Amino acid sequence: MLLAAISAAFLLHTSAVFGQQKFTVNGYVKDVENGEELIGATVLVKETGSGTITNVYGFYAVSLPPGNYTIAYSYIGYSTVEHNITLNENQEFNVELPVEAIQMDEIVITDEPIDANVTDIKMSKNELDIKQVKKLPALFGEPDIIKTIQMLPGVISAGEGTSSFFVRGGSADQNLILIDEAPIYDPSHLFGLFSVFNADVIKDSELYKGGIPSKYGGRLSSILEVRTKDGNNKKLGGAADLGLLASRVMVEGPIRKDKSSFILSGRRSYVDLFLKAKGEKSSVYFYDVNAKVNWKHNNSDRFFVAFYLGRDAFNFDNVFGFDWGNTTGTFRWNHLFNDRLFSNTSLIASNFDYKLGLDDAAQGFEWTSNLQELSLKEDLNYFLNNNNEIEFGYHLTWRRFSPGKLRPTSEESLFAERALDHMYALDHALYVGNKQKLSNRLTVRYGLRVSIFQNIGDQDVYIYADPKDNIDPERIDTVSYKSFENIKTYINFEPRISARYLLNQNSSLKVSYNRMAQNTHLISSGTVPIPFNTWSPSSPYLEPQLADQLAIGYFRNIRDNTIEISTEVYYKDIKNVTDFADNAQLFFNDDLATEYRQGSSNSYGLELMAQKKDGDLTGFVSYTLSKTERSVPGVNKDESFLANYDRRNVLNVVATYDLNDKWSFGANFTYSTGRPITLPSGKYEYDGYQVDYITERNGYKLPDFHRMDLSATLVPRKNKGRNWQSSWVFSIYNVYDRRNTFTIYTRVKQDKDGNIIGDGNEKEARQISLFPILPSITYNIRF
Amino acid sequence: MKKYILLLIGMITLGACEETVQLDLKNSEPIVVVEGLVTNELKNHYIKVSKSVNFYDSNNSTKITNAMVTVTDGEDAFNYVHNPNNKDDEQGTYYSAIPYAGQVGKTYTLNVVAEGKTYTAVDILHPVANIDSLTVRFDPDEFENPEEGMEDYYYEVLFYAHEPQETKDFYLFKFYRNDTLIYDTETDIYFSDDDLLGEEINGLPTASFYKIGDMAKVEMYSISNAGFIYYNDLVNLLNNDGGMFGSPPVNPRTNITGGALGFFQASSIVMDSILVKE
Repeated sequence: MLLAAISAAFLLHTSAVFGQQKFTVNGYVKDVENGEELIGATVLVKETGSGTITNVYGFYAVSLPPGNYTIAYSYIGYSTVEHNITLNENQEFNVELPVEAIQMDEIVITDEPIDANVTDIKMSKNELDIKQVKKLPALFGEPDIIKTIQMLPGVISAGEGTSSFFVRGGSADQNLILIDEAPIYDPSHLFGLFSVFNADVIKDSELYKGGIPSKYGGRLSSILEVRTKDGNNKKLGGAADLGLLASRVMVEGPIRKDKSSFILSGRRSYVDLFLKAKGEKSSVYFYDVNAKVNWKHNNSDRFFVAFYLGRDAFNFDNVFGFDWGNTTGTFRWNHLFNDRLFSNTSLIASNFDYKLGLDDAAQGFEWTSNLQELSLKEDLNYFLNNNNEIEFGYHLTWRRFSPGKLRPTSEESLFAERALDHMYALDHALYVGNKQKLSNRLTVRYGLRVSIFQNIGDQDVYIYADPKDNIDPERIDTVSYKSFENIKTYINFEPRISARYLLNQNSSLKVSYNRMAQNTHLISSGTVPIPFNTWSPSSPYLEPQLADQLAIGYFRNIRDNTIEISTEVYYKDIKNVTDFADNAQLFFNDDLATEYRQGSSNSYGLELMAQKKDGDLTGFVSYTLSKTERSVPGVNKDESFLANYDRRNVLNVVATYDLNDKWSFGANFTYSTGRPITLPSGKYEYDGYQVDYITERNGYKLPDFHRMDLSATLVPRKNKGRNWQSSWVFSIYNVYDRRNTFTIYTRVKQDKDGNIIGDGNEKEARQISLFPILPSITYNIRF
Repeated sequence: MKKYILLLIGMITLGACEETVQLDLKNSEPIVVVEGLVTNELKNHYIKVSKSVNFYDSNNSTKITNAMVTVTDGEDAFNYVHNPNNKDDEQGTYYSAIPYAGQVGKTYTLNVVAEGKTYTAVDILHPVANIDSLTVRFDPDEFENPEEGMEDYYYEVLFYAHEPQETKDFYLFKFYRNDTLIYDTETDIYFSDDDLLGEEINGLPTASFYKIGDMAKVEMYSISNAGFIYYNDLVNLLNNDGGMFGSPPVNPRTNITGGALGFFQASSIVMDSILVKE
């Protein structure tokens, strides 16, 4: 209520200033080469010094009194284009920007600063330049945005070769990972060596760590929004990349020139082919398919349909196997109601499933589990005037959780057919937000998201004598709910506020506060989630997780805006963080509710980043100092403990350098304090087993982690007669061959061949490190 | 389970490497460990009492030789005496002064007084299903690709039983080759609840492999829910991966009160054996 009063006051304040008649100029900003819409392009009215940036659909709108104006359109890596317009009615004006390098000499370039770092109200947010990601050294030569995300300030990785990331003290399941608005429940291929994101189809990706607009919700710690390309609507093109472990093929082109386009891309690993060649009966592979069709019915109605399918499959001796994958589909309709009201309607489906199977006469089985989700989103942008941009909308999501079903696959199998109950949830979210320019120096964004979460039937809910008794759970009653019958409702109000104050031309202060609520909980007690973890909705036994985060930052651009510097401090407090009892049994447990333990988590940190986006040398340096602790009754004897992913110091350097037209180079360096680990403080013997004695959770730290990778990209000179261009990417992962500890486990002392040494009473600790120095080569063709 | 994911990743990444490292571990206060078993066999049952040692200690534990140990079944009390046969390898092991057989349905209570503190534990002796039979099967894969040092061992022993569907049961298995306890790996524990089991268990392979002439023996124990939980926790601890993909290691939940580790188990036991021949 308070918030509504504040916004009303703000609106009144501005309407007083605003009496003169105004017209709107709006439109899309696109890439001249392929018609892809540019997100976050700057639109500047030179006469007034005011401006805006294009929204996530590449759309902008500016209101001005009648008159003649020069409008400059600019975007990183593109030449700035200026247009003179005479505004005496509402106008639509679409602009296409040329890529900088290509037509450098032919176009008038203004020296308008690109200073979004300072002027944009957004903080705690990073964008990834996919072109740069492709030039960076990559594990097995496979460019992966998640690996670059793990280098950003405020982001922590659990270790190399993993696709999980931990944002500002949040666990891996607190990140909402979206591909074309559809959630990805497990972003890993091959247990995390690669992520599901194929670099060929990515247009744009953004990570929100704080100051999250009211439009987004559902997870506590971050939003990773990945958008795929729309497909070139001017000419047919494509790419093929041959790597050591996987290859990619992509085709894109117009269906009707300038009107509609498609993109289709596939990627497959071929480790299994090597294994087959070696005569192994076991196999392992993954593949991805991305497809999108995009069409513009007219200037007011644009549509796309996007589809993603990815799968991993492992098979051992044709006997035991498992596989998992995500499937998502998005239908989106952008509609312009009038020159100020922009609407985005999306229908989204997402499925994550896994399967385990054993082909055996006596114990054959197939185990399946999945999570399905359908959502409808209506997002509206209303350009009230140059000082107020309002967004509001409604999201509805239906989810079905199928935690597990077991089926015998042979007549003689010892297994019985059994299934755990499905769980269902309906999630409504209503939001409103306004970005308001209060003065030339001060801009605020304020909003509210109301999430109404319902755990619904059909389901049988058990009532326990003691819901925390996980040793011998006693069900005293069972309540049966019918389909769509309400089991439990949780309503959460999530205020979101941020402000930017310009100190001068090239520096600003920003502050933000957000509250986030999360009603889908990952059932995993490890550090890195695996695909066999399931999810549960909030329920009578599992309360919504709530995070409050406050962040303050100082932003400064130096050297004519070529170097962006940001300093942020944050404090994040999580209530009801979901954890599990010590020794929790999370796999196929009918009484899983008795394993839930919720507590609190708090995290604070300092993040520094210097980034250079333009020029021959680009890249960033980031440093994060942070601490994350959890305190969960019923876990670790009620003592607080460091989070699994707590790393005190993290330093990352990412750089690419274009030497000339032929050669460019890339480098990564990462250093971090080792992650906490639970190690024994003693041992004892029980029935012949040598057992570790554990005294506390996460009481030790792994050794510090550091690694450097280098890459070189060669683009041979193009033959005049050829209409395709090839390139080579050479990379060396872990240049100085550091054996970074992945994890440590203990065992009875053994010799090299695994024979127990001595009387079997002595134990030893074994350190696993994943990657030695690893050179790789990738060959790419573009046409 | 979780450690297998590490092995898998190792397989995919080809270059993964494992080495022994010397850790700088904290030393802990020794903690009392009790291990006990009462079965339905008529014999002198044992209870072991010891203390934990530091991780890098060359002994597996410190034996406690002056504890007071009794087991009661609600009617009778059985006194235990320390190492009655005065054997070196039975330091810290206590045997019932007289032989007795545990009875199905009875509740057994253990009482241990060690170093001035009292530890008690309760377990119920449940019935166990029968082993219908064992059979021997030639394993062509193992014949073609034997493990090193196991070239003659390519026979599997298969297990047959009926699982009573109307009761909730828990089982523990031990497998012997010529009276030596065998495992696939030394951290395996063979146990099960019946949640996912159908009635017929037909030809379930037992651990490891046998050669011609071996005597294979299978022991099946009934265990309580508490026993199932203890073994489940223990196997997770023995096979933990440092909390990377699996849960962080933690001490097993025990039925022993008073702050000791270990478990006191009451079991019915059935066994069957078979001579491995062609």
